[in-house]
Amino acid sequence: MDIAALIPSPDTIPVHWVWFKVLLIITFMAHILLMNIMLGSAIIAFVSGLKKSPDSSAVSLQRDISEKTTFVIAFTINFGVAPFLFLQVLYGNFFYTSSILMAAYWLSIILLLIIAYYSAYIYKFKFEALAFARIYFIGLTVLLLIITAFFYTNNMTLMLSPGSWTQYFDKPSGTILNLSDPTLFPRFIHFIAASVAISGLFIAITWQKKKKSGATDADLNIKKGMKYFFYATLFQVLTGAWFIVSLPRDIMLLFMGRDSTGTTVFLAGLIAAVVSLIYGFKNRVWPATWSAIVTVFFMVIMRDMVRTAFLKPYFAVEKLKVIHQYSPMIMFMASLIIGIAAIIYIIRCALSTRTS
Amino acid sequence: MLNNYLINYPVWDLGFLGGGTLIAFIAVIHVYVAHFAVGGGLFLVLTEIKGYRENSADILEYTRKHTKFFLLITMVFGAITGVGIWFTISLLNPAATSILIHNFVFGFATEWVFFLGEIVALFVYFYTFGKMNKKDHLRIGWLYFAFGWLSLFVINGIISFMLTPGKWLSSGNFWDGFFNPSFWPSLFFRTFMALMLAGLFGFVTSSTVKEKALRNSLEKYCAKWLLIPFLFLLASAWWYVSSLPEPQKLMILKLSPEMPPLIKTFLFLSPLIFIAGVFMAIRMPGYVKKGATFSLLIMGVLYLGSFEWIREAGRRPYIIYGNIYSNSVSAKDIDFMINNGILKTTRWVSLKKIDETNRIQAGREIFRLMCISCHSVGGFINDITAATKKYSQYGMESMLNGMGKINEFMPPFPGTNAEKKALAAYIVKELNSRKEELPSEYSIAPIKPQIPLFDPSKDKYILLVWSGKGMHFISDNNRFFSISQPGNTIYAQLIKRGKTPEIVAGSLRMTYRIEDGFNTPSSNSNFWQYSRSFYGRRINDNEGFSGKKTTGEMDFNESLMAYSASDLPVIPYRDDGAFVPFPLVYVEARDSKTGDLLCSTGVSVPASTEMGCRNCHGGNWGRKNITGLSDETSLDILKTHDRINRTDLEMLSRNGNPRMCSNCHAGEQPGTGEKTKHLNLSAAIHGFHANYISTNDPDPCRNCHPSSGFTKSYRGIHSKSGLDCSSCHGKMEDHALSLLVSEKNEGKSEAERLMKHLRPRSADNVKQIEPRKAWINQPDCLNCHVDFKPPETDQSPPNVWTKDKKSLYSSRSDEVGIMCPACHGITHAEYPASNIFGNDRENFQPVQYQKNAYPIGANKNCKLCHTIDMTEEIHHPNMLAIFRNIY
Repeated sequence: MDIAALIPSPDTIPVHWVWFKVLLIITFMAHILLMNIMLGSAIIAFVSGLKKSPDSSAVSLQRDISEKTTFVIAFTINFGVAPFLFLQVLYGNFFYTSSILMAAYWLSIILLLIIAYYSAYIYKFKFEALAFARIYFIGLTVLLLIITAFFYTNNMTLMLSPGSWTQYFDKPSGTILNLSDPTLFPRFIHFIAASVAISGLFIAITWQKKKKSGATDADLNIKKGMKYFFYATLFQVLTGAWFIVSLPRDIMLLFMGRDSTGTTVFLAGLIAAVVSLIYGFKNRVWPATWSAIVTVFFMVIMRDMVRTAFLKPYFAVEKLKVIHQYSPMIMFMASLIIGIAAIIYIIRCALSTRTS
Repeated sequence: MLNNYLINYPVWDLGFLGGGTLIAFIAVIHVYVAHFAVGGGLFLVLTEIKGYRENSADILEYTRKHTKFFLLITMVFGAITGVGIWFTISLLNPAATSILIHNFVFGFATEWVFFLGEIVALFVYFYTFGKMNKKDHLRIGWLYFAFGWLSLFVINGIISFMLTPGKWLSSGNFWDGFFNPSFWPSLFFRTFMALMLAGLFGFVTSSTVKEKALRNSLEKYCAKWLLIPFLFLLASAWWYVSSLPEPQKLMILKLSPEMPPLIKTFLFLSPLIFIAGVFMAIRMPGYVKKGATFSLLIMGVLYLGSFEWIREAGRRPYIIYGNIYSNSVSAKDIDFMINNGILKTTRWVSLKKIDETNRIQAGREIFRLMCISCHSVGGFINDITAATKKYSQYGMESMLNGMGKINEFMPPFPGTNAEKKALAAYIVKELNSRKEELPSEYSIAPIKPQIPLFDPSKDKYILLVWSGKGMHFISDNNRFFSISQPGNTIYAQLIKRGKTPEIVAGSLRMTYRIEDGFNTPSSNSNFWQYSRSFYGRRINDNEGFSGKKTTGEMDFNESLMAYSASDLPVIPYRDDGAFVPFPLVYVEARDSKTGDLLCSTGVSVPASTEMGCRNCHGGNWGRKNITGLSDETSLDILKTHDRINRTDLEMLSRNGNPRMCSNCHAGEQPGTGEKTKHLNLSAAIHGFHANYISTNDPDPCRNCHPSSGFTKSYRGIHSKSGLDCSSCHGKMEDHALSLLVSEKNEGKSEAERLMKHLRPRSADNVKQIEPRKAWINQPDCLNCHVDFKPPETDQSPPNVWTKDKKSLYSSRSDEVGIMCPACHGITHAEYPASNIFGNDRENFQPVQYQKNAYPIGANKNCKLCHTIDMTEEIHHPNMLAIFRNIY
């Protein structure tokens, strides 16, 4: 079967593709960091809650996570909407197709998220009352979020593999997973481990701030956070290596010298990761944070290059037809500026209330 | 290989969950909560102000608690189901979703900003409640409401765009699409709905307040929230409907069959919600209020759900009106697809060609591609198996032909005829497991008529009798409706033999007698029982509409120079119940003074109930599995009529008041009314069905007219010569259009709906179609038989009709006053005719007088009347030729 014939024709876009690419990368970066914090801190709270007789620092750590998780879920979803939108603009013809092939799993995400979210709220509002039983709720949240992540990884890889789309003709019921893709599991694990690493940092930052306001257990939790960060990042290097060798040889080589941009980005990411590891080892919270963010940034760029390389035989965003219409984008930019101003105002009000 | 792929995406085969079940479920929940999220924002801030004004800590505490409830509902359920809608539409209709995303990406992006603002504002509002200073806190409340309402503003532009894309269709401009014709009324409608829901949800928390006085005052307060916007809501609903362009308005108010229950629900709930709102303002025990609140919540979801469904159904058959159909076929591509086929223009198919071996599989693929977006298989919404259960292969194909025509809420079938057949086969044979129908085991034994002897050397008279119609068909299940009354009219002329024969008139007593065994027609038909409902008067049992009985006297008609007996009570059932669609009537001519018998003969009076309605309307035959309309078929006809024309014929029939078609569709039948309002029956029935009958069917008439089974409507010499109905009457479309054009010219707008999708076959456009009236303007025999000569063509020229009733073959006479059918037999059964019930029955008089089946006097048999051979062609030119068609 002619695989290229299966790929839907794309629709036209209203402004140059670069705008969408930049918006996609920025908003995805925000989403992935928030997602990491959401999932990773829930995992940490769960693991920490497994101990039958935890020390007080563990309980205060869990309580703090319980208070924050619901916010983080809200923002993760919100910041998921924007890259989801821009992804559809640039790659809708691939993304819609893969979504349909795994539609049953893909749509189930909505239900999984609702349950995970409410479970997180129960964990938050009934934290004390539930006592040990609370781990069932955060456990459920973790389980459902991990399943969600697995489905996401499936979709994001399936959209890049038109070669495996022909399974549809035997299974049109939307129940195809991309299990035969060698990149699936390394990619999935790479993202889950990243969540633990970033959440370790988030915990460290949180407790560093708490330390200033005199919270007990702060030092222990900062250390705990940095420990999570360090080991998870170390593990990331291994899963990252697994991930990169799982890529088709031609794509892998792009980052191994065949393509100068690819290689530079990969090296930059790797260096930033090593730097963050060093700072992590030294418990230097902020330098570790910044270098981790730089690492994530390069990894996001690299992820985009992998996507471009996978789709290269069939498609390139440069080829999307543009029918120029800039005024709606100006409306968006204006609303973004006004929106951010309003948000800053709201947050300032909130902060001043807190300090007063 | 064709490279024009027009259908791009695979289709999720949802089976019983298809047909929009998923989107209906997710959308209704989301929209309910989302409207609450908008109106609730204002509710929070105004309730907080109320608390400050009244200096009531209780009200403030209530507001805080309500905020928590609000947060948990809107932030979790509202937000995620919102994403859920997006997930769902991209799975169910990726092509349309892609159009929305690519055209409105910055609209969606702007909404995302507002969504972000909502989250931040609501979190801060809730978590700082009672901690922040009043002014800032209220300002944040206002900001939350502003973000929420602006989200509505943006998404309203996109949703209303789908119903009324307006100028965008030609310009493609974002703003044309966004500020579309229904943008403002929709925005107001939704805003008021949002405010109303704020009050409705307010009851949820207020009814749980323990302190009685506070609870009562809050419930009164919430009732105001419900009731005041509600009045504005109704006004804006009116504005909304009025603002719709005509096609969408027509779809909602008249055409869509799914609309009446939805509109009824909306209209029924309107006063109910109002009353419930008033009820909530009255002091009642807490548990009553809680129950009432729960009921209100259910009513609210039904109310908003019915509105959203009406809106969605209003854009049928499109998903974006005028741009893309519900099944992802782009409006601009439809003709290309009809010509080239679905399979060739679709990416995600495994078959590209249909043959005998893969027909069902191809049908399955076509079904998945084109149908499953609106139809489930055995599911809750638009179940295809239930909707098509009645169809045979032929019926299903006809249904598919009619899609997008009369049935405008569905898109036209966008494929070739082979694809249509494959889809029909899949639905009928695979989904509905319908078996091929076995041929009837009813056996016909020719029944020999009693033909009186004729002695050419002694007998002085020739009596010629004929029936007014070649076939009179009647529906026999009068409990539901009657298409026409039983009633054949017969005519007779008596000729005195001699060198100069004469037509005898005036001094005769001409009597008729329907053959034995057909004496009590009312024992086999309930027509008489329901005659009052049809005509406003009871027709006596076994009597015809004009008072004639099964035996009686004929009347002299001076203008025709013939005797006639109108509307004889003839039905195709013998008294013992046997189906005989060609009963005989024996006629005797006697001297009126002496009573002497001058001559007697017989004629077949064809009547049948063997109409093919069940081919499409389902059901079995009504009688003995061979003929007649069953209850199921009859009921389906009424239901279809009711659904498409918003009539209540089914209810009338169930109440014992069935209608006769001609009660509204005036025709040539006696007792018809409202001639100016509705189409005449022939125009209505042909015009409607021409939209469904396949243009490729070589002989479409036989599927409805009694013709394909035991009753052969068309059995004369023309049938033997290989001509078909269209040889004289023209193709189905032309036949229907000529009737409709005539009605349209008389100002009957209903004709336009039926004509809209009919394309003439014999002319380039409808303007070239010559209008005609049924039973008046008919094909003229002389169109082909120019100067009575053998025709040079097998096809009557199109659009040439007899001028008036007098010019009809059945009313016309030769040069000396003998009427055409007297010698040639009636239309459709011209001599020599054949009939499985016995040829002699059909050719009674030629056999009686000539011992052959040819027309009276054929093959130079002038002496039958003239007693000598003749050399002049007195009656009509070319009459002395030898009959060409050997029989």
